[in-house]
Amino acid sequence: MAALRASGRRLGTVVGLVGLCLLLSALTPYFLTVSNLLNVLEQTAINAVIAAGMTFVIISGGIDLSVGSLVALAGVVLALCLQAQAPLVVAIAAACAAGAAFGMLNGLAITWGRLPPFIATLGMMSIARGCALLFTGGRPVSGFDVDFRHVATGRFLRVPAPVFITLAVYLLGRFVLAETRFGRYVYAMGGNEEATRLSGVNVRLHKTMVYAVSGLASAIAAVVLTARLNSAQPIAGIMYELDAIAATVIGGTSLMGGEGGLGGTIVGALIMGVLRNGLNLLGVSSFVQQIVIGLVIVFAVVIDTSLKSRRP
Amino acid sequence: MRLIRLATLVLAAAAVAACNRAPGPAAARPRVALVLKTVNNPFFIDMQRGAEQAATDLNVDLVVQAAERETDVDRQMQIVENLIQARVGAIALTPSGSRELVPAVGKANAAGIPVVVVDTRLDKQAAAGVKTVTFVGSDNYRGGQIIGEYLVSASGGHARAVVLEGIPGHETGDSRLRGFRDAIKSAPGVVVVASQPANWERDQGFTVFQNLMQAHPDADTVFACNDMMALGAVEAIAAAGKTGKIRVLGFDAIDDARRAILDGRMAATVAQFPDRMGRQAIESAVKALRGEPVPAEIGVPIELVTRTNAAPGSVK
Amino acid sequence: MAEASIPLLDVRGVSKRFPGVQALDDVRFELRQGEVHVLLGENGAGKSTLMKILSGACARDAGIVRIDGRACALSSPREAQQAGISTIYQEFNLVSHLTAADNIFLGREARRMPGIVNRRTQRRDARHLLGALGSSIDPDARVADLTVAEQQMVEVAKALSLDAKILIMDEPTSALTESEIEQLFAAIRRLTARGVGVIYISHRLEELSRIGDRATVLRDGRYVATLPLPAPIPDLVRLMANRDIAQHYPPRTRTRGEMILEVRDVARGTRLRGVSFTLHRGEILGVAGLLGAGRTELARVIGGADRAERGQLLLGGRPLAVRAPSDAIHAGIGLVPEDRKRHGFVAACSVAANVALPQLVRLSRAGVVDRARERALATRWIEHLRIKTPGPSTSVSALSGGNQQKVVLAKWLALGAGVLIVDEPTRGIDVAARMEIYQLLDRLAVDGAGILMISSDLPEVLGMSDRILVMHQGRVAAEFDHREATHEGVLHAALGLAS
Repeated sequence: MAALRASGRRLGTVVGLVGLCLLLSALTPYFLTVSNLLNVLEQTAINAVIAAGMTFVIISGGIDLSVGSLVALAGVVLALCLQAQAPLVVAIAAACAAGAAFGMLNGLAITWGRLPPFIATLGMMSIARGCALLFTGGRPVSGFDVDFRHVATGRFLRVPAPVFITLAVYLLGRFVLAETRFGRYVYAMGGNEEATRLSGVNVRLHKTMVYAVSGLASAIAAVVLTARLNSAQPIAGIMYELDAIAATVIGGTSLMGGEGGLGGTIVGALIMGVLRNGLNLLGVSSFVQQIVIGLVIVFAVVIDTSLKSRRP
Repeated sequence: MRLIRLATLVLAAAAVAACNRAPGPAAARPRVALVLKTVNNPFFIDMQRGAEQAATDLNVDLVVQAAERETDVDRQMQIVENLIQARVGAIALTPSGSRELVPAVGKANAAGIPVVVVDTRLDKQAAAGVKTVTFVGSDNYRGGQIIGEYLVSASGGHARAVVLEGIPGHETGDSRLRGFRDAIKSAPGVVVVASQPANWERDQGFTVFQNLMQAHPDADTVFACNDMMALGAVEAIAAAGKTGKIRVLGFDAIDDARRAILDGRMAATVAQFPDRMGRQAIESAVKALRGEPVPAEIGVPIELVTRTNAAPGSVK
Repeated sequence: MAEASIPLLDVRGVSKRFPGVQALDDVRFELRQGEVHVLLGENGAGKSTLMKILSGACARDAGIVRIDGRACALSSPREAQQAGISTIYQEFNLVSHLTAADNIFLGREARRMPGIVNRRTQRRDARHLLGALGSSIDPDARVADLTVAEQQMVEVAKALSLDAKILIMDEPTSALTESEIEQLFAAIRRLTARGVGVIYISHRLEELSRIGDRATVLRDGRYVATLPLPAPIPDLVRLMANRDIAQHYPPRTRTRGEMILEVRDVARGTRLRGVSFTLHRGEILGVAGLLGAGRTELARVIGGADRAERGQLLLGGRPLAVRAPSDAIHAGIGLVPEDRKRHGFVAACSVAANVALPQLVRLSRAGVVDRARERALATRWIEHLRIKTPGPSTSVSALSGGNQQKVVLAKWLALGAGVLIVDEPTRGIDVAARMEIYQLLDRLAVDGAGILMISSDLPEVLGMSDRILVMHQGRVAAEFDHREATHEGVLHAALGLAS
């Protein structure tokens, strides 16, 4: 019964996405073209990758408000390494390590420091942002060589590189959530942390790792963003956490934790990307865009909650 | 489970089939897009007004878009990409990032869409590989100088100034600051005691200046690189009960700033005529569309605004 | 207990179907004024469905419900409440952060001015209500600080404040100790003296005769019979299960082996003040005591859920440090927690995931879970414990309470623990399933495990244990061999009275 309901929810989001696409294709001829659809996929990549990490965190029963700042921080680390003539692989590894390390600090603050995730990551939001500003003196670091820029501009069979990166992140993430012990623990902790602890699971360790995963996802997104803009700005990523949370929630993952999955998140991210793209194509005013996006988020959660609470 | 897969497949197939439909013939009127940094600033709203007027006069359709937040540079790039997909005829762009928007301009080049850069220049080095039709804007450097010169004369050569910068890396702010600092070099008694960014925003102008007032109680002047931040500083001064004791200088000459000058809460600002910029931008874009020649730079005049000429509408 | 001509509650022909199962089929039930009418049945017999229908939480498919002769639709909880039906669920409906008085009047606060709550009136009225039940609970006490028994009193007071004519109580005594049960019964008798009718749902057959006037048995959603109480337990059991349970408890064929666990002077906080005992292979050591005696605290310390402040554990003669649940699990000690709903399982996860959780390390290779082995493990235990579930991948939240309990048991039994601590093993489980669990525990002991069985069900302790430890206020008050233990003797020790 619950399985049917869960797949019903996911079907609902997919139907919503496809419905939105059909609607937009009826309203403007420019939406449903191969080049625009690829355009949308490329634009959605950054938020989708961050949201993948956010999904892990939300399933485990927590929240991560610092992802936007971690994007800026990892981007800055990446850029400074590249500027120092470090090899591409080393620079990317350094950025990922920075993201994961700061994410781990979030996790430690929450597990050992016993801070609520909201507060711990709120603090990190400021701290990471400050570090990014500090490392760069407030100015963006830009101008990288073509090899690096391929991360964003490269294409294979016309499909932009960021799409492949997103795909890889989601496939790996889905495997981890569904097939590994760690993934099980993520769901179990979110569903009932005390019962999980009593079952002998090292909740502290695994919770910390979840936040490291979120930091890592932010770092990967930062790599794509930096390549795309050919610049790492310390003020990048402001409010990106909201978009990531929105994508996760629209995708059907419950903010209470314990259930959900990446399949829903990618659809949620696509819904937001398609929406923004469509509103631009239709020339809708920016003010109205903000209202529409907010309404979609609220609407999606309302539908999700009502589906969940429908009991026989 | 099978039902879901089936449904998704059917819908995907329909989508792919629809893809092969070519978009209809181009609209009768050419479409020009104006991509602003933000619409939360009266400066850009004036620019939009000028552009809309020009569009009506030239009989073209105008699409105006901006990102939700001025700091969201990726979003502005997305808007440009989407407008390219929407096959607009030309794009007039006020870049949120002097270097960061270069790739977007590159994409427009590749699609054969002419780009007019407005108000904030692209970084020369970064933009080496892309083509733009023209730059429409004021000489921000000169503007900074004008206000610096005003400070030197109004203070009699002695002032302790706090500077509120815009978003770091924005060419507009950088140029204004350079102009200001160069102008005050002539007066060794005019000193900049602190300089901090307030990211073009009014509330940040308030907070940052409030803190700087604490750190530098002897400061008697604040120069904010735009009026929004200056007005924030005005409120901070009022909250501290020091109205009239600290000289406030801004940039942009938005209506609220003019009123503040008339009230005596601000001393001076620099008018940039954003509506003229908007008009020129659209006119250049249309010219480029039609294949007519456009000068590489179109300067829009600037003017110092003080009590004498602060009444709105007193400058055209 | 006057014989009124019109019954207080008259239920006829009620049916309810859920997808895949006929929960109630043409059921009838009658409640007289001032009567305590027990509703009996195994898990899944339809008791909770009937209760939900009467409390308005669930709509019936067919049938008539008459209260004082008037037909009622009972289409919403509010309507049921207005008709005079009040329900006290097993997991109370109280807001733990508010006071007792607040909870009693929640939603119907006394107001002095619009929007402002009149606390003084509420406090006074609450004291009144609680007094009417013979309780001295402070109306200003926070519910979270009250004991389970006191919380229940608050619930009864709430029902009373609603002028309930009919009170439905679901497993009211499952979390209470002997003295508290007496208090509750006294409160119930005060209610029935005023003419309130009580529908009493319970599995605890031994206590029914003390409080019930009649009993109605349901089986598989159908009405079976109504008997006057007291009635012989075997008769009741036979009607419920339709099979004769010759013995209540499995015969003691196990032999005590070597000592496996030694506990020396273990203490923690004020509730556990220094407990020492030994546990041998092949034995079931029962731990009896009143609520607050420290039994659960003892279990949690040995099982690693809490850390001891003092004392030592020796496993197989060697000292064992237990700082976290994983230490205990590694050493082969399993703890089935008392509050299985809160600490026992992860509701959103599947049966298989829950059963496998403590041993996922064993079931995975290089971090990847071997799904086939996990599924096989779950299937084995579903059969073993006869867990009613569509399959191992069903979410545990979809199972009935009793089956959820079984999943928790399966999880720990599947570990193959050398020492198994079970805290209230049969609470909330129906008669037939209890037998299965007793047999299972017996078999485990026969196979060489040492079992520490904590239970507030004295007959269960007396029937199952080889030895009995009685705890009182954090210490061991007495130790009995099963041959010399009596109900009175154990109770005596549990009350802290000198023997």
